[in-house]
Amino acid sequence: MKNLRSMLQLAAAAGLLMWPATARASSHMDAPLITLDDAANTTDVYAFVSQRYGRKYLTTALAVYPHEEPGIGPNKYNFDDDVLYEIRVATGADVARGRTTYSYRFKFTTTFRNRNTILQSYLGVIGNVGDTAQNLIQRYTVDKVDWRTGATTRLGHGIVPPNNQGNATPKYNRNDDGEQRARDGVADASALDLYTAQAIAELEDGYVAFAGQRDDGFYADVQAVFDLLKLRGPGQAVDAQGGFNVHAIALNIPIEEIGGDRQVVGVYATTSRPRVKILSAAGETDFGDFVQVARQGNPLFNEGLVAIKDKDLYSRTSPELDATLFRKYAVTPELAALINALVFKSNVAPTTNRTDIAGIFIPDLIKVDLSTGPARLAGGGASHATNPDDPGFSRLSIFGGDTLTSAVQPGFGNGVVPGGWPNGRRFGDDVLDIAVTAIISDLRVSPPVIVGPAGDNVDRNDIAYNKVFPYAATPLNGRAHTH
Amino acid sequence: MTRTWPFAAIAATLTLAAACNRPAPPSTPARGRSCGVALSADAGSDRDIAKLQQELREERAPARAAEQLGYRFISRARLSNDSGFYKIAEQAAACLESYQPDDPSALLLRGHILHQLHRFGEAEAIARRLVDARSFVLDFGLLGDALMEQGRLAEAADAYQKMIDLKPFYQSYARAAHLRWLKGDLDGAVRMMGSAVKAASPRDPESLAWGYARLAAYELQRGRLDEAERTAAASLQTVPDYASALLVSGRIRLAQKKFPQAIELLERAARLNPLPDYEWTLSDALRAAGRHDEADAAEQLLRRNGAADDPRTFALYLSTRTAARVPRADDGQQAVELARHELTVRADVFTLDALAWALVNTGEVHEASALIERALAEGTADARLFLHASVIAAADGRPVEAARWAGKARQLRFTLLPSELGVLQGIAVTPPRA
Repeated sequence: MKNLRSMLQLAAAAGLLMWPATARASSHMDAPLITLDDAANTTDVYAFVSQRYGRKYLTTALAVYPHEEPGIGPNKYNFDDDVLYEIRVATGADVARGRTTYSYRFKFTTTFRNRNTILQSYLGVIGNVGDTAQNLIQRYTVDKVDWRTGATTRLGHGIVPPNNQGNATPKYNRNDDGEQRARDGVADASALDLYTAQAIAELEDGYVAFAGQRDDGFYADVQAVFDLLKLRGPGQAVDAQGGFNVHAIALNIPIEEIGGDRQVVGVYATTSRPRVKILSAAGETDFGDFVQVARQGNPLFNEGLVAIKDKDLYSRTSPELDATLFRKYAVTPELAALINALVFKSNVAPTTNRTDIAGIFIPDLIKVDLSTGPARLAGGGASHATNPDDPGFSRLSIFGGDTLTSAVQPGFGNGVVPGGWPNGRRFGDDVLDIAVTAIISDLRVSPPVIVGPAGDNVDRNDIAYNKVFPYAATPLNGRAHTH
Repeated sequence: MTRTWPFAAIAATLTLAAACNRPAPPSTPARGRSCGVALSADAGSDRDIAKLQQELREERAPARAAEQLGYRFISRARLSNDSGFYKIAEQAAACLESYQPDDPSALLLRGHILHQLHRFGEAEAIARRLVDARSFVLDFGLLGDALMEQGRLAEAADAYQKMIDLKPFYQSYARAAHLRWLKGDLDGAVRMMGSAVKAASPRDPESLAWGYARLAAYELQRGRLDEAERTAAASLQTVPDYASALLVSGRIRLAQKKFPQAIELLERAARLNPLPDYEWTLSDALRAAGRHDEADAAEQLLRRNGAADDPRTFALYLSTRTAARVPRADDGQQAVELARHELTVRADVFTLDALAWALVNTGEVHEASALIERALAEGTADARLFLHASVIAAADGRPVEAARWAGKARQLRFTLLPSELGVLQGIAVTPPRA
């Protein structure tokens, strides 16, 4: 096969091609026909049990804006004021039903200090978040909605730190030098870079929030997987997301705010845009209620298991409908058949009646056992000098022996549950390897038949994660980054 | 979400593998011809086109390659102003259909090509088939686009409303803005295009630049010249040398009577996009600056290719020259012929206006009156439209109406070219009766 990079680009472009109209037709609605909606495009959701200053939290995070090029100019990667970003939590019976119990709504407002300049984002070197050198400033509010009562509570507000452009934003980077690469993640909150630390918002009732640019914490050798699964060897594999940023929202939810820790909860996220009346009468407002344009729960489900014809439907619908609309894709995963055909040339992976896979994905919520201790966290690898992975952390979660003990479910016996995805999802979980291993294994039987673990030989992120809130790694420097 | 996920990739890989492993499909004569054209078209410096051609040649996911080639050639046609690329895109669509007859993606591609080729009725028919079959968001977009060009704005609004109900995003916001502008809701158009700009991705700079350029044009129409200037600058910052942003920037300078700056911008724009809209604006700017020889040269270029490149705008130009009493022989009649033919293709507000304007300048006042009445019926607030309405009303013996339309044109005068302003100034003002 040749030109697979091109094919990859095409795959990336599949939903985003532009096909502009002729310039000759001056009355045409001749907008380029892109279908990208990056600001509302959910890439990943994270959810895990954490501890901060002695308090137990459900840490959640939502990432949007896939493939943010750090070096772009003007740096217009921002949250969209028109988008409602919503982290959703299901508790109790709502988990199995795929129904939201609580949601946390982030709404952004963008202002400019000076509009009479082409310097959209930075007027100078930013010393502190929101100072006079930061031209484009985004602030946000966080509201909690109790879906059982409809009550909405304002939890507080925060400010978005600048994107990491380079010299304009030196404090993200090593030695506070805009020419150097972004700082590695840290193990202690006191060591966080200044901008990140200043943008952490302590909200009402113990909630903690952060919203801003971060490194894309997902890693995989997408090219090799695409290249007829001809995976490269250790040291040769390439992290396709390496060198890219995302925009992320992180929210620490005090466990007691959602009913305590004797339960398994479900987490997913949505983005919505306001409904618009195209032709409005004088005096009418443009915008109405919100239309869901994207949702994200577990990694892989919509992207890898749902057929093309139903992907948009998935994005528009609630997990309450997953059992009806999408269960078939989990129970009979096409992916299993593909792996058998392309890799094993035999029927290694069970292809039918995959109740184990359905158990993970249907409804498509990340299930998190809150009764366990805090999840072990990834730093910069086991041997990182200042920020090693927590002892016992494995990127492969349970397939790497990283388990937690539940007080509310038997798990795989004696309360043993995965230390990472699919029991929650941590930064650093190698979801590709975990998913493929799960697909080719048989988790329906006791003891489970584990094949693998399988892998793509991309075993770590391109920058160390933070082991403290907001956990996502420092945004990569536009002036000094890979790829 | 659109992350390039490995598992989606695996699925695609299987398709590829299947394509690789199976013997080449029987090469039907139709497939041979249509795919052959798409394969042999000059890729120029477009590496994506070259790669897609290679994939199609090697029968690796050939349907997908043909589809993407079609869209790439549409894009190339727009950027290069070479409509020949639409023909190649059409062949790519035929190639795709040879692999996947009646596949919705093939239909959508063909629908877009037909739309670009101004075969709006056929594009509408395809859009309706798609809407009946699956109702994807872009199907409604194509349907609305085709209807709008045929002057069926109410139906277009209905299609666009369905589109935006399914997915509010850049595409639907931009269409909403355009429709609002056509219906005379300029403030609403500005708000909606603002939403489109916010929703555009920096990964698609042309979309962002296009949105800014449109927003600048709206602001110019509102007479908010500083805001228009800022917005046009944002477009050019996003995509330097973006022709439509250079054009609107030049028009802003014209409105500010900064002729040297306008000329510099418009020369760049016309070099990039040598179309009647650009050349007419440039020649007017040159003439306003007293550089008549250069203006004549620009008009020569315009006259050489205008009828073929954009007959409607060229007809407007010819008619305006006639109205300004500087026509060449047969300008008026040529304008009528061009506009009349254009009306057989599309019946939107601006084509009705173009024919009305041509007719009044050749003395056919009654038909002109009827046509401009239809053009004005949608409520479009456009200085050129109002100027023409004024001249037609005056010619039709309705001085009060003529004055009223002239007044409206003056309110929006910022978008009029110098030659049109000259026509406006020549209108005898009869104040409307109280």
